[in-house]
Amino acid sequence: MRIKNTNDRYGIVAVTFHWLMALLVIGLLCVGLYMTSLKISAQKLQLYGWHKEFGLLVLFLVIIRLSWRFININPTLPSSIPAWQRFIAHAVQWALLGFMIAMPITGWLVTSAAGLAPSFFGLFVLPTLVAPDDHLRHVFADMHEWIAYGLIATICAHVGAALKHHFIDKDDVLRRMLP
Amino acid sequence: MKVRVISQSIIVAALFCLSAPVFAAPTWKIIPADSSLTFTATQNNAPITGSFKKFTGNIQFDPADLKSSRVEIDVDIASVTAGDSQVADTLKTKDWFNVTVFPHAVFKATDFVKTGDKKYEAKGVLTIRAKTIPMVLVFNLDDYAANKAHATGSTTLQRTQFGVGQGDWSKTDAIKDDVRVDFIISATK
Ligand code: HEM
Ligand code: HEM
Repeated sequence: MRIKNTNDRYGIVAVTFHWLMALLVIGLLCVGLYMTSLKISAQKLQLYGWHKEFGLLVLFLVIIRLSWRFININPTLPSSIPAWQRFIAHAVQWALLGFMIAMPITGWLVTSAAGLAPSFFGLFVLPTLVAPDDHLRHVFADMHEWIAYGLIATICAHVGAALKHHFIDKDDVLRRMLP
Repeated sequence: MKVRVISQSIIVAALFCLSAPVFAAPTWKIIPADSSLTFTATQNNAPITGSFKKFTGNIQFDPADLKSSRVEIDVDIASVTAGDSQVADTLKTKDWFNVTVFPHAVFKATDFVKTGDKKYEAKGVLTIRAKTIPMVLVFNLDDYAANKAHATGSTTLQRTQFGVGQGDWSKTDAIKDDVRVDFIISATK
C-alpha cells in the first residue's frame, strides 16, 4: 500500500488517520454523553479527565491530518456517481473535519470557563482560554453539546453513504479507505 | 483558711509569672483585604486553585521573641471558592469538607524557628474535619515594622489524612493527595 494517496485510493497515512480518528471521535461522543449523565463522583471526574485528553488529541491529530490532506492529492470519486452526490460527499467530509476542530475548541472553552485547565496526558498543562465564569460555562457547554448532535447526524449520513456504496451500489468507495 | 488564701495567691502569682512571657509578643490583627489563603490541588493532572475568603487569626508574634510567639488561624470553610461554583459546592458536601458538621479548620502554632534571613518555620497542628495533624509552615517575614507586618508562606498537606474526600474520592487518581496551601498575611497592631 502506498504512503500517499493516488487518484483512485487512499494511502496508508490517510487510512490510518481516518480509522484511528473515527474510533476516537465515536468513543468521545459515547464517553461525553455517558459521563455527563452521571452524578458527581470520582469516576465521573476521571472520565472527564480522559475525555479532555483524548479530545485534545483529536485536535492535535486533525491539524496534522489537514496538513497532510493539503500537500496530497485526494482520490476522485468515480464519475458513475452523480455530481450532486459527489458534492454532498465532499461537503460532508469537510463538515466532519470542521467538527473535529469545533468540538475540541468548544470543549476546551467549557473546561476553561469552569476554571479547570486541561492536561495533555500529564505531559503538560494547557492554558485556560477564558476566566472562570458560570454563565460562560453554560453557554460553551450548550455549544459543545449541540455541535456534538450535529456531528452525530453528519457521521450517520457519512457512514450510511459509505455502507450504501459498498452493499447496494457495490462500488469501490469503501474499499479505497480500507487498508 | 488564711493559709489557703495565701497559698492560692502564690499559685496565681506563679501562674501569672509563667504566662507573662506569652503576652510579651505583640498582638497583631489580620488585614483581610491584603491577606489571602489559597490552595492548589491537582485534578486530572492539572492544577486547580481555590481559596478561603474568610479567616481570622489570633497572632502574637515577635521575631525577637519567638519563644512567646503564638499563632492561631481559624478558617471559615463555608467561604471556600474554587474554579466555578460547581467545584466549590462539591467541596462543601459531606464527602469533602462537610461544612455543616465541620465549619472551621484551625491551625495552631507555638513553636517557631528561624531558618534564615527573614525565613521562619512554624511548627504546629492543623485541624480539619476534627482530625488534628502536625504541620510545618514555612514562611517569609517580608516586612516587620512597628505597626505593619507582612508574611508569605506555604505548606503541602495530604488531603486524605484529614478525610477530605471520602469513599471513592479518597482514591488519588483523579484528584491527587497532595494539596499545596499558600498564604499571605498582612497584619497591623
Ligand atoms: C472530538 C472531540 C470531542 C467530542 C466528540 C466531544 C463530545 C462530547 C459530548 C457528546 C459531550 C456530552 C454533551 C452533553 O450531553 O452535554 C461532551 C461533554 C463535554 N466535553 Fe467534550 N468532546 C470532545 C472534545 C472535548 C475536549 C477537547 C474537551 C476539553 C478539553 C471537552 C470537554 C467536555 C466537557 C467539560 C464536557 C461536559 C460539558 C457539561 O458539563 O455539560 N470535550 N463532549
Ligand atoms: C465508522 C464508520 C465510517 C466509515 C465506514 C467511513 C467510511 C469512509 C469512506 C469510505 C471514506 C472515503 C470517501 C471517498 O472515497 O471520498 C471516508 C472518508 C472520510 N471520512 Fe469516514 N467513515 C467512517 C467514520 C468516520 C468518522 C467518525 C469521521 C469523523 C468524524 C470520518 C471522517 C472522514 C473524512 C474527514 C473523510 C475524508 C477523507 C480524509 O480526509 O481522510 N469518517 N470515510
